[in-house]
Amino acid sequence: MAAGAQPNVTSRVAMLSGCRVLDLTTERGLMCGQILGDLGADVIKVEPPGGSSVRSLAPFFAGQPGPERSVYWWAYNRNKRGITLDLETVEGRDLMRQLAARADFVIESDHPGALAQRGLGYDDLRALNPALVYVSITPFGQDGPKASYADSDLIVMAASGVLILYGDEDRPPIRMSVPQAYLHASADAAGAALIAYYDRLNTGLGQQLDVAAQESLGLAQQSTMLAATIGGDETRRMAGGVKMGPIRVPLVWEAKDGLVTCVFLFGSALGVFTRKLMNYIYEQGFCDQATRDKDWIAYADMLLTGREPIEEYERAKGVVAAFLRSMTKAEAFDLARQHGFLIAPLATIDDVLQNPQFVAREYWQTIEDRDLGLKLTYPGPFARFSATPIEYRRRPPRVGEHNREILVGDLGLSEREFGDLARRGII
Amino acid sequence: MATRLPLAGVKVLDFMWVLAGPGITRAMADYGAIVVRIESVERIDPTRTVGPFKNNNTGAEHSTLFGNNNAGKLGLSLDLKKPAARAIVLDLVRWADVVCEAFSPKAMRAWGFDYESLRAVKPDIIMLSTCLMGQTGPLARFAGFGNLAAALCGFYNLVGWPDRTPSGPFSAYTDYIAPRFGLAALMAALIHHKRTGQGQYIDQAQAESALQFLTLPIIDTVGSGRKYSPIGNDDPEHAPHGIYPAAGDDRWVAIACRIDEQWQALCAAMDRPQLAEDPRFKTFSARRRHREELDRAIGEWTRARAPLETERILQARGVPAHTVANTFDGNADPQLLHREHFVRVNHPVAGETVVENSRYRFSRTPAEVKRAAPAIGGDNQYVLEKLLGYSDDRISDLVANGVLG
Repeated sequence: MAAGAQPNVTSRVAMLSGCRVLDLTTERGLMCGQILGDLGADVIKVEPPGGSSVRSLAPFFAGQPGPERSVYWWAYNRNKRGITLDLETVEGRDLMRQLAARADFVIESDHPGALAQRGLGYDDLRALNPALVYVSITPFGQDGPKASYADSDLIVMAASGVLILYGDEDRPPIRMSVPQAYLHASADAAGAALIAYYDRLNTGLGQQLDVAAQESLGLAQQSTMLAATIGGDETRRMAGGVKMGPIRVPLVWEAKDGLVTCVFLFGSALGVFTRKLMNYIYEQGFCDQATRDKDWIAYADMLLTGREPIEEYERAKGVVAAFLRSMTKAEAFDLARQHGFLIAPLATIDDVLQNPQFVAREYWQTIEDRDLGLKLTYPGPFARFSATPIEYRRRPPRVGEHNREILVGDLGLSEREFGDLARRGII
Repeated sequence: MATRLPLAGVKVLDFMWVLAGPGITRAMADYGAIVVRIESVERIDPTRTVGPFKNNNTGAEHSTLFGNNNAGKLGLSLDLKKPAARAIVLDLVRWADVVCEAFSPKAMRAWGFDYESLRAVKPDIIMLSTCLMGQTGPLARFAGFGNLAAALCGFYNLVGWPDRTPSGPFSAYTDYIAPRFGLAALMAALIHHKRTGQGQYIDQAQAESALQFLTLPIIDTVGSGRKYSPIGNDDPEHAPHGIYPAAGDDRWVAIACRIDEQWQALCAAMDRPQLAEDPRFKTFSARRRHREELDRAIGEWTRARAPLETERILQARGVPAHTVANTFDGNADPQLLHREHFVRVNHPVAGETVVENSRYRFSRTPAEVKRAAPAIGGDNQYVLEKLLGYSDDRISDLVANGVLG
């Protein structure tokens, strides 16, 4: 917990306590429910009998497949309970409708119209529960010319305008090696769902939220797609950096023992950092006074107007490169912390786990499953709340783990009805 | 009749700047919150100096990056070195439901605007601080941009070719993750406040939010000792899976097949049904093993046509494919146009300009994006007169004494 952030702790009631979420998502939307669960909602993951297809996604713990061993499943289903329901059967759908009638949120990531065909679309459920917030996460949206496009993480990356900005100039663009597109959409969906819920507290009315991963992920193209509409320039990728017209700005640099990122940019805001860095580089004897004293604030304009030849800029970059190559990543980072330079090492996942900042803040959380002999390390809370801290209360559910608790306990089915549903494979 | 927007009546005092913070309040403004953004004339938001610029004019009011991230907000310029400016802030704190800021941890304290001080003025205030590494810990004061957090979180080492040094994601990647979590955090706190009357303080570290997107490799690294390094465009669940050359300058098309049927449909589309029967490519694992030859065969076909043509041919057959949109394509993307993704707004200085719409559609209370981002100090009069009820004389004094900038 942040120091000085322990005010009026009058209630430890979670922020979304009492809110019920039905999570029907596939691999595309799992994180949305997890965020709501972190914030205290009662999230019920609904899977088909036998378990979600996500459970068969690699990687698996110790490389051994099994429905309870998919890392993908574990990564995005904490703080959820789990039931199985066969939505291909009339009875399964009927139970789903009963659950929806008393739920606050439904989150789904099926193809547009797929749930409506089963009588579980927004209009069907709104009729039962006008206050329901119904969140739909798809690649391109509920309607429009691409609504039925076949997709994957790579396809959405390509469509969003982000992919073209990643990678080396002399090769095809590349995506991030850990899929990201639907995480952006799922996190967006959580914020949107809460805006709609806030509205519902005022009006008593729910609505459908149509979240398209193409648009969500598009945030990461940093407004570059607007250039075409306002008479601006096209942005093109540059390995480990950005291109601004003829100016090639590297963000990845070599240190003695590996790579660091370093911002060497200009303008009234960013040029200040460059001036500070060049002062230090001069003091260390890596450049002459004239190089130090270039007008780093106006430098971009000078290059664009030809007042400063590009060769001079390339030479200055060479000075910075020689400076960074003279030290280790750790030394460069220490300097950055001391002097406020914009330099950081390129961390591996192991480095991240050992980063003293996350350790000092007790960020890493462990969830244990003794039966399976698993002890999992999770990234901790996405934010620290002084009055209502996020807690990791539950490990991800096993297949059908809470069937009885929810169907008998909450919906009030008799044990006989429950047994009958189980026998007939509906749950 | 206009629908009442979800956040109508929610008042936000916004000390955010750069990318991640203002992204949160942009979303709140879209859905009806009144957002008053404090800006310094002396130290303007760095994104005002970054493009794209309208007509390549690099003036502070022409950045569309700033414009896109701040549409719908009101702009108040203050010289916070002056006590009278700080007094205005405290009046705004009394007015506000939410205060949010994105400075490095010492700045707000130096002005006397830390949570404890603001709570003394407004006991149920909700305050969000968002910075790179969080308010506490040895790196709390390590400030900077999202590329630094992206490097420290491991994202840079996940974009690259196996035979080269990593190229990293474009620009400030964690700046595009953190606002989504910041919004969820603030909305949850607002819901909690509505239900209990209780305010609170939220410490958001951009890095800690962003690492949610690496949950899988983190669990796997600790749990199974697997090492994650960049693998180009490879994907263990798809074959073929790649970015293929297309006709034109730097034009590419993405193709990803998860199941045999998609691969067979791709072969049919390429008019090479024999490829589907080729033992090198017949099964998923065979395609994975021979993926270099596979990619070459597909590339021979894709390079002969425009990316959009390949996209249409393949999507018509249910094969996941899409043009790799360049930064000029979005403008004409029929899906984005169908969703009214681009919104024209009038900027008081730059004139007509374009911003992106909300990134999701609400069926009953759709976002309203009508106002351009504020010019520096563009709403001083409105904020002081209409929101705080200051008299004209008082406002004139503030102007004369240089308090507003």
